[in-house]
Amino acid sequence: MPVKILIPGSLKCWFDGETEYSCQGERILDCIDRLEKRFPGVKEHLIDPKGNISNVLIFLNGDNLRSLDGLSTKVKDGDEISIIPLAAGG
Amino acid sequence: MIQDNPESKFIFIFHPKIMLGKKYTIRNGQEMTNGEVLQFWGKWIVLGKKLWLDELSIKLDPFVESKEIPVIKYDRVPSVNLGIEECVMMVYCDRRDRDNIWQILSRFGVKLKAWVTEKETMEMWLPGGQLLERWIESKNFDAATQNAVREDSQARLGYIFDHPDEVFVPWEQ
Repeated sequence: MPVKILIPGSLKCWFDGETEYSCQGERILDCIDRLEKRFPGVKEHLIDPKGNISNVLIFLNGDNLRSLDGLSTKVKDGDEISIIPLAAGG
Repeated sequence: MIQDNPESKFIFIFHPKIMLGKKYTIRNGQEMTNGEVLQFWGKWIVLGKKLWLDELSIKLDPFVESKEIPVIKYDRVPSVNLGIEECVMMVYCDRRDRDNIWQILSRFGVKLKAWVTEKETMEMWLPGGQLLERWIESKNFDAATQNAVREDSQARLGYIFDHPDEVFVPWEQ
C-alpha cells in the first residue's frame, strides 16, 4: 500500500490539477522526489535552495514535519502526507 | 452559535457563553495559562471554498454548542495576498482532544489532515517569522510602519512566551 499525498485546491496548479497522488518512498524527501518526477518543477515550490521546506507546511498523518524529523521523516505504507500553503497555518 | 459579522475578516463559531465573557481556553474547568496554550493549544486546518465551509460550519455548530469543539473561525474571503485561493477554517482545540475532534471532521468529509500548534503559528507571526515578514512585504509598508508592526507583534506575542504562568488572554479579531 503506497503513501497518499493530499493537496488542497490552492496548490493544485503545481500538481497538474490533481488533489491526490500516491507514491512509494522510505522518507518524505523520497516522496517529494517522486512528486518532482511526476510534476516537474514542484520541488522548488516546496523546498528552498538550502533544502528547507518553504512556502508550505507538510504534515505526516496530521503532524507537522517541523515537530518530526523534517524531510528525513520516515514513512510507511498507508501513511498520508498533507501539504498546505504556509499562510494557511496562521 | 455562528457569528457572521460582515465587518470581520472571520466568521466565528463559539458557545453562547463566550458572549458572556467566558473563555474557550479552558481545561477541566481551569483557564489555561500562556504556557499551557503554547504546549497544548492548536487547530486542525481545513481548506475549501467558502460555500463548502459555510455548509460545514452548520454541521459543526452543534459540536461547539455541546462544548466538544471549543471554537472555530474561518475566512470570509481567501487571503489571496498571502497566496491562498481558498478560505481557511481553523478548528481549535487542546492537543489532548484533537483525535476526537478529527473524528468529527473526517465524518463530514475533511480529508487533508493538518494540525498546527498555536506556538508554531505565533512563531511565524513574530518579527523575522515567515508569515509576518511576507504579510509586511505584501502591504508595501514604509520602513517606519514595518518597524511599528514588528514592535507590536513582539509586544503582543512575545508577552505570551515571556509570561508562561499568566492566564492566557485571547485577543480581539
